Amino acid sequence: MDTASVVEIGRPSVRRDSIWRSLRGPLKGSEYTWALAFVVPYIAVFVTFVAYPVVYGLWMGSEPRLYPELFSDPIYQKTVVNTALYLALGVNVKLFLALLLSGFFMRPGWWMKVLLMIFVLPWAVPQITTFISIHWMLNGEWGFLNNMLYTLFHVEGPHWLNDRWTALGAVIVSHIWKWTPFWTLILLAGRMAIPLEIRDTARVDGATGVRGFVHITFPLLANLYLICTLLSTIFLLGDFNAVYFVSGGGPANSTQVLATLGIRNAFEIAQPRLGVAAVMSALPMVIPLVIVLMRKLRTAQVQL
Amino acid sequence: MAHLTRRSMLRGSLALAAAKTVGGPYVARAAATTAAVWFAQGFVQDEDVALRKAVADYEKQSGNKIELSIIPFAPERQKIISALTSGVVPDLVDSNPAEILQLYGWQDRWVDVSDVVESQKGQFSETALVAAQAYNNVTKKRATYGVPLRAAVVPCHIWKSLVEKAGMKIEDLPKTWDAYFDFFKKVQDNLRKQGERKVYGLGFQVTANGVDPYNLFMAFLVAYGGQDIVTRDGKLHLDDPKVKQAAIKAAAYLGGAYRDGYVPPSAINWNDADDNNAFHAKLMVMDVDGTLSTEVAIKEKHPEWYYNEIVTHGAPGYPNDNAGKPVPSIVGYTNGLIPKGAKNVTVAKEFLKYFIQPKVIGEFVELGLGRWLPVMPSLAKSPFWQNPKDPHLKGYVQQGLLGPTRPDYYVFNLAMAEVRTQHVWSMAMIDVAKEGVKPEAAIDKAFKRIGEIFAKYPMA
Amino acid sequence: MSTVAVDTALPSSYTQSQAQRAVRRRRYLTTAGTALLSLVLVVWTVLPIYNMVLISLEPEGDVFTDHIWPRVASVESFWGVLTQGHWYLEHFWRQFANSFYLGAMTTLLTLLIGSLTSFSIGRLRIRHGWLVSNAALLTYVIPASFLAIPFYRIMQNYGLANNVWSVIAALVAFATPYAIFVFQEYGRSIPIEVDESARIDGASPMQLYLRIYLPLMAPALVAVGTYALLLAWNEYLYQFLLLSSKSSMTVPVALAQFLSSDQSPWNYMMATAIIYALPPVAIYYAFRRRMSAGLTMGGVKG
Repeated sequence: MDTASVVEIGRPSVRRDSIWRSLRGPLKGSEYTWALAFVVPYIAVFVTFVAYPVVYGLWMGSEPRLYPELFSDPIYQKTVVNTALYLALGVNVKLFLALLLSGFFMRPGWWMKVLLMIFVLPWAVPQITTFISIHWMLNGEWGFLNNMLYTLFHVEGPHWLNDRWTALGAVIVSHIWKWTPFWTLILLAGRMAIPLEIRDTARVDGATGVRGFVHITFPLLANLYLICTLLSTIFLLGDFNAVYFVSGGGPANSTQVLATLGIRNAFEIAQPRLGVAAVMSALPMVIPLVIVLMRKLRTAQVQL
Repeated sequence: MAHLTRRSMLRGSLALAAAKTVGGPYVARAAATTAAVWFAQGFVQDEDVALRKAVADYEKQSGNKIELSIIPFAPERQKIISALTSGVVPDLVDSNPAEILQLYGWQDRWVDVSDVVESQKGQFSETALVAAQAYNNVTKKRATYGVPLRAAVVPCHIWKSLVEKAGMKIEDLPKTWDAYFDFFKKVQDNLRKQGERKVYGLGFQVTANGVDPYNLFMAFLVAYGGQDIVTRDGKLHLDDPKVKQAAIKAAAYLGGAYRDGYVPPSAINWNDADDNNAFHAKLMVMDVDGTLSTEVAIKEKHPEWYYNEIVTHGAPGYPNDNAGKPVPSIVGYTNGLIPKGAKNVTVAKEFLKYFIQPKVIGEFVELGLGRWLPVMPSLAKSPFWQNPKDPHLKGYVQQGLLGPTRPDYYVFNLAMAEVRTQHVWSMAMIDVAKEGVKPEAAIDKAFKRIGEIFAKYPMA
Repeated sequence: MSTVAVDTALPSSYTQSQAQRAVRRRRYLTTAGTALLSLVLVVWTVLPIYNMVLISLEPEGDVFTDHIWPRVASVESFWGVLTQGHWYLEHFWRQFANSFYLGAMTTLLTLLIGSLTSFSIGRLRIRHGWLVSNAALLTYVIPASFLAIPFYRIMQNYGLANNVWSVIAALVAFATPYAIFVFQEYGRSIPIEVDESARIDGASPMQLYLRIYLPLMAPALVAVGTYALLLAWNEYLYQFLLLSSKSSMTVPVALAQFLSSDQSPWNYMMATAIIYALPPVAIYYAFRRRMSAGLTMGGVKG
């Protein structure tokens, strides 16, 4: 390791040495080079492909006059409310379901394997087609859902997409339908990381079922769950597909979210900067999330 | 694995990062004699085939090369906007959406192409020539930035078989505006008496999605006398009582039809494709929809529908206004545009000059099976369009080229394009249709919004 | 074995047979509960996909019908996809191959770069490593769909226009931060003593990475790998923005063509989507066993 002999202390090279040591931390010389080499690929990707676009994107949305124009849009306020609802319900219901299902899928058996394969389908099928399919399914006159309700239960289903709240609900449900498999897999991987000994010990001690979950499993998954929540919120903020294809932002622009409003501004009104401004107006909400995420990633790990 | 030293790892990862910049100079050098052309994909394969043929013929004749990218419709729009925003532009694009001619003309982003249009000056219809111009806010003047290639108009499509099922005759269709559309309300009433619950008389796109609601409302606005809402000088005339009355009547009729149950309830949230799906499923007796895509799409698989069951306009043709005078139709144009900063303006212009020769462009449009209209009246007299056996083409070309026409209003003032994309008229219609708002109040709200939008583009 | 646990939990007044009945009842309930939940899951998952299948079997491509079973099942659309029989699909297999290439490269690079970075930050504990992971977060501040325009520009500047590597680079740039976070989080469950004991035995970081880290990370690698694969597989915005020629396009772009027209052969579109969804599911299944390998491997090893 780093042994400094009494002789070396007075020498000027020691100062250089300590700067170097402070830079590389506890790692030995050769290990440090490895560690550096391992991060260089990502740094290169970041500098080449992320730094410029993100800065350019921030610049695009930074003109002050964009914001009064954005706020004066009559649908802006409804859009913000919709976005808040979409995020709150979409993220939390989805992740909670994913948490429960990840426990369910830990069960042994060939049936579980088949079920997991089927369960992954919504994620695998291209979202344009699934969301369009859902849009058609929900049609009030000829849609599959109402056909089914009528054929099986003799119930005349409502016009799902004609009312703001059922349409918004449909969008949220569509999003949950599409993305729960993905987060289930992540949480499933997280559960599998819990060492077998801990799980066995818990079972022997009688901490099974709900008790086992609350006292053993969830605390170990908590950090991963939180990170998933924060990331999912950030992802969902920019996701326009569900709204765009399922409800079209309608009826009468009442189910628009910031992402679809941004897309409309950017590519239909042909004002890309106004589009970026729409999503950036959510930054006041995104920044705190990002800060919490940064803290979580930085804190010293609790190692087992 | 043992051979991988840390040094080679470090070198390798840095090299990977640097490797990507090598491709640049090669691409730039090749651009000298090639022109990059972007064009929207056609609805039928024949359109693309016709375009490729025209390009190939040009290349043979001139010795220049054209890099043609045929891009699906909606993605092309995003691609064009990305190109213009980022400054890396092709040499020639089609105007997708049509109003980018005016939108980016305002920002002085197009090359003036009046010399190209001059080469066929006498051939173009007057409306086409006007629609190819835009007001440039940098030079404070109007100029011709587009070369008209093809046109589209909004006809009425009718299921003759449903009309006959209701015990009525298509020949009895009235010739005046309100009576014409009221006819279909009677058709629905009769069909309902027969127990047909799921058929509606009118397929009005009372929705805030897509371009159809705007086209629908504007057709009604013009028919009711509101054609001076924006005059040729680009000035907005919302305080004109004729305009206001016409708008109120349009909102009242269209929203009222929905409210009274003559329009499919799901129409309130239709997207661009839903009205066609619904028409196809015979959910409504008639709709007002741009181009002949409804008919062309089923021509191959169901010729009996094309020739017997679906009718364009009906026997008397496109309806007149309530006083009996012909109503000018609003025509949309596809123009060829050359962005400023394009690498090869010369070849782009040459190709355009070649493409708009009547023989070439006429063939191109006809090979599209008549979905698009030509922009030169002489071409409308061709046997293809005047074919007596075809029940749709004659009426369509009459409405869009030979009869009275007018350009869309964003040609005069680009703010109208934003009125369309913000769906201002849709909100008014839906207010009347679903929210129980009186037409006057709905139009007041709409006019207020229109005023705000127009204020963003002050013209000299 | 379970009777032992029951014995300690129940009062001693229970007879053996009553206890056995209780156990059987609980097992029956559990099985019934599992079966019910499975049924609900299947119906929930499959419903919209069933609608897609219905549409794909419609000979007319009709979307609006009133029956819930296929009245006339026509596989013409599926056949059309496989034989490239429709003009929208004339390059289907070429585009399929492009999708594969795009998916494979994106997955490999994301997993490679992501795992290397999180290994360096999380295991080797490189000083100031947190800077890298925090900077990575910046990638997500502006949603990807709005970064399309800047990306378009820089790819032109780098000379990567119309090159599939431009799309790979963009997707890797988006997927890697997420990979880093998940790997870091997942890696916390692996005790650092494992690394240290290997180091004492003289392992170099590269050996640590290959022999210890990657095998223990298997479940996370499968999950993140599937994510990267599906991201590349189904992404269409960057693909059509950055690629121009029909032969370099991928299947999602081909799907977008169906939206060009307001009257498309929807049965072909749905058939294309269904066929296109199968490879990722199959790949996931092939690698899934690696995920459960983590079940037995988690924990301190000798």
